[in-house]
Amino acid sequence: MFLAWNEIKNNKLRFILVIGVLMLVSYLVFFLSGLANGLEQLNREAVDKWEADGIILTEESDLRLPQSLLAEDDFAGEGAADYTALAQLSAIANNGDQKANVFIFAVNDESFIMPNVTEGEVFTELGEVIADDTLKEEGFALGDELTLSSTEETVQIVGFTDKARFHAAPVLFTGFDTLDLLRYGEGTGGESEAVNAFVIRGDHLDQIQVDDELQVVSTNTFIENLPGYTEQNLTLTLMIYFLFVISAVVLAIFLYVLTIQKVSMFGVMKAQGVSSSYLACSVIAQTFLLSLAGVLIGFILTMITSIFLPTSVPIAFQYIEMLIYGVILMAVSMMGAFISVQTIVRIDPLKAIGG
Amino acid sequence: MAILELNKVRKTFGAGRTQVEAMKQTNFRAEKGELIAIIGPSGSGKSTFLTIAGGLQTPTEGEVVINGAPMTRLKEKKRAKLRLKEVGFVLQASNLVPFLNIQQQMQLLDKVKKDNMKQEEAQQLYQSLGIEHLLGHFPKDLSGGERQRVAIAKALYTNPSVILADEPTASLDSDRAFEVMDMIKGITKEKQTATIVVTHDTRLIDDCDKVYQITDGEMTHQ
Ligand SMILES: Nc1ncnc2c1ncn2[C@@H]1O[C@H](COP(=O)(O)OP(=O)(O)O)[C@@H](O)[C@H]1O
Ligand SMILES: [Mg+2]
Repeated sequence: MFLAWNEIKNNKLRFILVIGVLMLVSYLVFFLSGLANGLEQLNREAVDKWEADGIILTEESDLRLPQSLLAEDDFAGEGAADYTALAQLSAIANNGDQKANVFIFAVNDESFIMPNVTEGEVFTELGEVIADDTLKEEGFALGDELTLSSTEETVQIVGFTDKARFHAAPVLFTGFDTLDLLRYGEGTGGESEAVNAFVIRGDHLDQIQVDDELQVVSTNTFIENLPGYTEQNLTLTLMIYFLFVISAVVLAIFLYVLTIQKVSMFGVMKAQGVSSSYLACSVIAQTFLLSLAGVLIGFILTMITSIFLPTSVPIAFQYIEMLIYGVILMAVSMMGAFISVQTIVRIDPLKAIGG
Repeated sequence: MAILELNKVRKTFGAGRTQVEAMKQTNFRAEKGELIAIIGPSGSGKSTFLTIAGGLQTPTEGEVVINGAPMTRLKEKKRAKLRLKEVGFVLQASNLVPFLNIQQQMQLLDKVKKDNMKQEEAQQLYQSLGIEHLLGHFPKDLSGGERQRVAIAKALYTNPSVILADEPTASLDSDRAFEVMDMIKGITKEKQTATIVVTHDTRLIDDCDKVYQITDGEMTHQ
């Protein structure tokens, strides 16, 4: 530490550059991971909020919710701890000023997927909905009368809930009667309701008995099969992994060049009898300090940037994941340091001192 | 008992037609408290002798023993330890770490080795070398002579039993050179070190206990 720290103090510019490189790489990694998370949430937060384990869809639906059509009595809960029906409709909602692409989910108001209300109240009358609160930022408000693209009927926002986006669109929650009205117009109902899926809680999805034309999948599988979801995720994850590789190479080169410059200095110290392991520890301690500083500054910069980002940029931070990425970045820098250590060990003190 | 022994040591560089015999077969011993001068023209093998004696390079044949330890038969790691414990080098090239001030150069030695000079003793050393006012300075701020004196201080600081100096007075004016030689001699007697000084300045060898001449790798007692 003695050597490491004194060298940093006396070569500030050089080490600021190293920290700068690390900072930029970690900034980019943190930012991309934030975006990846944000995009993920945009697609799945409504489903995550259910805390459900699985979902039942028809075999022929290819795991697409709109294509899965079944009857309310197709599943009676065999093998599940809890279950509830879900019906959906997608539409463009218009309050006169603003248009938004929305999903309308019909839920049973006593089921576990019934959303909590953060503002306003729950739907009770026909035509009332609870809306995802991101719609507020788009100019929708409590009491707004919404016309819908696929029907003559209108709905009214009576309440808001949080964290209710699905497949990149806000969700409107309502009762099955309202959804029937939107789907088929007035004068229907009575028979068994048409639903799109059953949402299930239970630890043993494989023990759930369903008809041949139905399938049980985990909620994760369901989400991963949302069109575009996996592709989007993979793209960002790949970028992050490439960044790790690139930063490893850049840093290894950087540290190697720094070490090469110091060969004769290490040589004279070795001639004196200072052991290779002491010098190696010094280089590793130095890299640790630099990478810690770089990653921390990158983190702070990411946080500051996220404050100034418009809300339309989907960015969400998972601090555990960022911690892991930070540690990986530091580990990657340490790997660079280890390459330099090889060089130090091989320095011949005699050659270095030019005696 | 000899503190430094070279038994039938020979050193060649290269192979075949281009082979150079930098050191012919040599037997050498240095006792405690002995100040030995080595003189010889450039390229005669003085530095080769000194670096082999100090364990910085291994001889082609023969054996080097320092304070009873068979230096030549040790692995590099053990040799480094032995160097640190027993040998103080004053090299032709400055052996200072650029980003440490003079005080910190000594602190570094405290970090890697115990039983170095105590505060008071070190202060005395700095005074006799005329560097006590330079302790807060960095090597780049020193003149060549000052740097050489600091290098000497650094070599002595670890209380070595063998001091190997390669032209330690080369960059000093002659008053300073005499002073430094006196200094080295004083320490040799006081600390009972075996001190070997390579020099081409024949005026400096009068006070030495023994003088050797090297010519074309052949060492002869004067
Ligand atoms: N690493 C080496 N490789 C090849 N030849 C060397 C090497 N080191 C020294 N020599 C040769 O050995 C001889 C003695 O060199 P050196 O001990 O440096 O002489 P001095 O210090 O007396 O000037 C010279 O001929 C030099 O060219
Ligand atoms: Mg020489």
